[in-house]
Amino acid sequence: MHTLYIAQRELKSYFTSPLAYVVICLTQLLLGVLFFMYRGGFWQVDRATLDRLFEYAPYGLCLLVIPVVTMRLIAEEKSTGTLEMLITLPVNDWEVVLGKYLGALGLVLILILTTVIYPIAMFVWPWNLGTIDWGPVKSGYLGLGLMSAAGTAIGLLISSVTRSQVIAFFVTFATLFGLVVLTGFAGDFANRAGVGTVVNFIGFQSHMTNFARGLIDTRSVVYFLSITIFSLMIAFRALESRKWK
Amino acid sequence: MIHADRLSKVFGSYRALDNVSFEVNQGEVVGFLGPNGAGKSTTMRILTCFISPSSGGASVHGHDVFDDPLSVRRSLGYLPQRAPIYPDMTVWEYLEFVAKMRGLDASTFRSRMKKIVEVCGLAQSLGKDIGTLSHGYRQRVGLGQALVHDPPILILDEPTSDLDPNEKAELIKYIQQIGKDRTILLSTHNLNEVEQACARAIIVSKGRVVADGALEDIRAKTGRVRYVVVVDEKNALKGSAPKDKEVRELLEKMKGVERVKEIPTDDRAHAFELAGEQDGDLRGQLFRAFVEKGWVLLELRRDAQKLEDVFHELTRSDERLARGYTDEDDDDDDDGDDDDGDDEEKKG
Ligand SMILES: Nc1ncnc2c1ncn2[C@@H]1O[C@H](COP(=O)(O)OP(=O)(O)OP(=O)(O)O)[C@@H](O)[C@H]1O
Ligand SMILES: [Mg+2]
Repeated sequence: MHTLYIAQRELKSYFTSPLAYVVICLTQLLLGVLFFMYRGGFWQVDRATLDRLFEYAPYGLCLLVIPVVTMRLIAEEKSTGTLEMLITLPVNDWEVVLGKYLGALGLVLILILTTVIYPIAMFVWPWNLGTIDWGPVKSGYLGLGLMSAAGTAIGLLISSVTRSQVIAFFVTFATLFGLVVLTGFAGDFANRAGVGTVVNFIGFQSHMTNFARGLIDTRSVVYFLSITIFSLMIAFRALESRKWK
Repeated sequence: MIHADRLSKVFGSYRALDNVSFEVNQGEVVGFLGPNGAGKSTTMRILTCFISPSSGGASVHGHDVFDDPLSVRRSLGYLPQRAPIYPDMTVWEYLEFVAKMRGLDASTFRSRMKKIVEVCGLAQSLGKDIGTLSHGYRQRVGLGQALVHDPPILILDEPTSDLDPNEKAELIKYIQQIGKDRTILLSTHNLNEVEQACARAIIVSKGRVVADGALEDIRAKTGRVRYVVVVDEKNALKGSAPKDKEVRELLEKMKGVERVKEIPTDDRAHAFELAGEQDGDLRGQLFRAFVEKGWVLLELRRDAQKLEDVFHELTRSDERLARGYTDEDDDDDDDGDDDDGDDEEKKG
């Protein structure tokens, strides 16, 4: 219960500041540009698919949305001192970590859900541009959800080891940049060296491509879930470590 | 009810608490005093299980802070120093959040809120964003938050620091009233409040307990009493009216007088404060000396030492350290002049 109250409070506080609205509007705008203008727009891909969305969404989520949403989670509470008020209520430290995590993840998922407008608008109503294979769409969204779960957990972890939101933002950005972009490049090189699969497995993109193709690979699910659990556990330890400093 | 047993806390290489032990029983309102940095907040954070002691142990309401922090927190209301509260919530939302986290149901919460609003004076502010409240009001919300579940134990870290005199008085009154069957540990720098609300005080200095006991016992701890002498500055029975230097000289030379301090008055009188042995009484001797000089005595009083004096006495080493004194020289005032030779004004 405590976890849910904390998550609820957290989610609500995003919407009392302009942050949530700005992030949502910005994302919609970027997606719009992506769909209708960039590289000739959606129309150039002469198949009814959302590949474009699933190709670019990880960049938007990991390089903008997740760092912005997670930077304040614990860092802000530490620097303003509200953490003391929160933790001295009868709550466990893990409930605080989990509650904050769910609040932030909730916002990211809401954001992802708002992008469903695009496929619906194009293939169901008001336009009916043809029939789309819904299988890859569903698995693609599942992939985005799982990736966000992992990314948000990483952001929370980083926010829990600093008191500065700015540092939290940049470190999260850099970490996710590494996981999304660098491993992509590194994978290309590594392919030539014959260790491509390993490097690819570490990065997010190889998993996301599978999901976008309609492939739900258990290894990918396990991969994202283990990052999530592992990060949350370290965040919990980090929060707990205040006791011993 | 609150039991601290040889608490020590080390931050890096700095020992903030050093073997702090004390006990607070049910129905006691205890003032927790000490200069800045003495370790009051640190102790309270340990008691509320926000941080853990480096060694030693503590229990609150019979629950150990290591083994059962949740039960500890359930049994107490805590107001941290400076009342840090989420600025993006309204007062009502915040108190409701706290009540939910403490497991209060909606009807209990509503009925408690009546009392909270009355005690903390929050009627006008319930719908306001906490971020827009003045400091004093934020502190009131912090108090409300600590009282909302009507806990048997209250730990309040400087609850009155930002309050106006009316609200201070209201809070002290409430503390006196609920203190009869509850346990309250209250830190403050305002010693008058302690004299009003507390029967007992614990004084810490540099992480150690330097005094712990009933207020009378603490006041008696220095073994001195205080005299106040006020002499007419304009008139005398014979000769000329006394100058303050003359009065001071007379007092300083007198046997049994230990410390003479001039206290401010209007320009019609000289007022001095003296310290003397607890067992003796200097009043007769003082009166005779003034009569001999022909000076007009306006007031002569013998009190117990003020808590403030005892506080100064007991925490003096702390104070001296903070001001950078190393030897015993009391009057040395080392206001180092700042060198700002680099800031030369250039005129064109
Ligand atoms: N997290 C921390 N890290 C390092 N040092 C700390 C920390 N918290 C407190 N201290 C140090 O411990 C000492 C005691 O601090 P504490 O806040 O308990 O003092 P206090 O008695 O509450 O003072 P005040 O009257 O100013 O509130 C101080 O010297 C402080 O600098
Ligand atoms: Mg303090």
